[in-house]
Amino acid sequence: MRDRSQLQAAGQPFTFDAERNDEFERLCTRYPIRESMIMPALWLAQEQQGWISAEVIEYIAERLDTYPAKVYELATFYTMYHLRPVGTYHICVCRTLSCYLRDKQEIVDFITDEIGIKPGQVSEDGRFSLEEVECLGHCGTAPVVQINGEFHEEMNVEKLKAVLAHLD
Amino acid sequence: MAETVKLFVNGREVEVEAGKNLIDALRVVGIEIPHFCYHPALGADGNCRMCLVGIEDGRPPLVPACKTPAQPGMKVLLDDQKIRKIQRDIMELELINHPVDCPVCDQAGECRLQDYYMEYDLQDSRMRVPQVTKGKRMDFGCGVVHDQERCVLCARCVRFTRQITKTGELGIVNRSDQARVTIFPGRPLNNRYALNIVDICPVGAMTSRDFRFKQRVWFLQKDEGICHGCSTGCAIYIDHHREKNGDDVIYRYRARTNMQVNGYFICDAGRLSYKRENENRQDLTLVDGVVVDFEQGIAAALEKMNKARRPLLLVSPDATLEQMWAIKRIATFYGATLSGYSDAYRIDDDGDDFLISDDKAANRYSLELLEIDRDRESFQAALAHADLLVNFDNDLFFSPINESLQRLLGEQDRISVCSHQLPVFSGSSVILPCASPSEYGGSIINRHGVLQRFRRAVRRNADPRDILEITHLLGGAISSAERAWPGIRQSVPVLRSVEPEQIPVEGLLLNNSEERDVGP
Repeated sequence: MRDRSQLQAAGQPFTFDAERNDEFERLCTRYPIRESMIMPALWLAQEQQGWISAEVIEYIAERLDTYPAKVYELATFYTMYHLRPVGTYHICVCRTLSCYLRDKQEIVDFITDEIGIKPGQVSEDGRFSLEEVECLGHCGTAPVVQINGEFHEEMNVEKLKAVLAHLD
Repeated sequence: MAETVKLFVNGREVEVEAGKNLIDALRVVGIEIPHFCYHPALGADGNCRMCLVGIEDGRPPLVPACKTPAQPGMKVLLDDQKIRKIQRDIMELELINHPVDCPVCDQAGECRLQDYYMEYDLQDSRMRVPQVTKGKRMDFGCGVVHDQERCVLCARCVRFTRQITKTGELGIVNRSDQARVTIFPGRPLNNRYALNIVDICPVGAMTSRDFRFKQRVWFLQKDEGICHGCSTGCAIYIDHHREKNGDDVIYRYRARTNMQVNGYFICDAGRLSYKRENENRQDLTLVDGVVVDFEQGIAAALEKMNKARRPLLLVSPDATLEQMWAIKRIATFYGATLSGYSDAYRIDDDGDDFLISDDKAANRYSLELLEIDRDRESFQAALAHADLLVNFDNDLFFSPINESLQRLLGEQDRISVCSHQLPVFSGSSVILPCASPSEYGGSIINRHGVLQRFRRAVRRNADPRDILEITHLLGGAISSAERAWPGIRQSVPVLRSVEPEQIPVEGLLLNNSEERDVGP
């Protein structure tokens, strides 16, 4: 786990667009405890902007009448939230026990050698970004890699090469 | 007396208050259960795992004591082999990444981690990998300095800002061994109770910029006192130390638990008001600007008071009940007008609904009880009429609102009995130094009508006299706080049956009426 507490500013204030605003309002009715909305709200913001900026956190805290520090806690705890812009292909490698024991490190090292990015980095051309994430819930088919939301199970370097080759 | 239950701890029967959790209930009978995250004001969080105990009644093998209410007949295991092992293991976990820098840590001497290591652990580190490094000396604002590496993530500070001050500046970011307490970037601590975080932090992660490295805590003498910062009268500890041949210096105030007055906390302004006790003190006796012996000063004052035909005596709303009584008596003796005018001790809209009060006088309630006039007009009229003003440490210019008074004062012959060098006392023909609140004892009554008694904490080399002694030297009948009481009891009905020696530590609530906003 790397330190995710270095927040970046987008340089412009964030607001939900009309569609996400409607969705936000709809979801609010489902959560009697308003602070439970922090995670779905972060998710909506990430969907809209691609990543969670400092402004997003302030905006959500204000919308939900909670403390920015509380939103900050959740955004840094869950690796599914990107705290900086990611590449066209965002590669998540599970780092938790089963994957760890079944050589997730070989996959990470391969990506680092091949594409030149370490966990938390984006390639220079902006095509790839890499993140080591917490348990993806596929322990039975470890190690697992997730690329833009799609799962690739029982991964190894050979299979990953093939997967990467098929990306446009 | 609250309802009690009988239960067994390590086979020994104890009787404790019903309904309390095991940590609080057993502490009363002298049994300590180690814990980091639990704090009675913040409730159980159950994250530190240090307070795990065994209970032999078929529930899970280990339960957190902070979340387990005392029940009749319960069999609590504290010394069991497996409990000791858990405690050792938790300590080892806490110490994996904790820097062992006790010798340079400001918290050494009052650190739970240090105490528990000695009590439960005592093993060498088995760590062979580099420790996780985190932020050091982080400025969290409001004088709070954070050391992330020393933090045990008990979240007391985070819960304090969310539950008590409701400002929520702090949070725990990241997870696993990267987890750390921090502020949201650009939004530092910004509340008037922030330094309580330093008090409640069980380790050296939160330190006070003001106190850091000023003194090792085991050198400090810790006396009980009452904050004179405002009319709430919070219970405090006065931590002071006297270097060899040096003066006794107060290093800090800390909150002292008093459920009837301030609970577990004090405000930052009150906490830092200890500086007033150290700084800008009036040590010299002056007669017409010339330094003289204290005895000569008293003689000069006596001469003036005997000559004066219309003396006006001014009492401070910070004085103790006994001092006020002594001044009242001496006013009668000289046939003087007595005033407790002290508008300047009030800062409008400064208070909140927690501890801070608009009224910055510690004992205005007693002025009312002793029927000492506090009206501005009558004071001003008396001042214009008087030929001598004897000011007993009343800082009329606490806030700069009294320019017309200042003019009037300038023309007046004045004797000032004062603890500090303040503009209001300059130009007095006689200045007699007197003790400040940490240097005398007595009783004060807070805005809620709670009578508290405090004792003298500090003795200085140039030991200033108590106002009460000075009134005695000036011809007053009252020579000590004890001797003031028969008279007080007689003239104040609500205090008729009060025995000063029997006032409980938490104070005595004089009546059960609603909070009284005692006007000036």
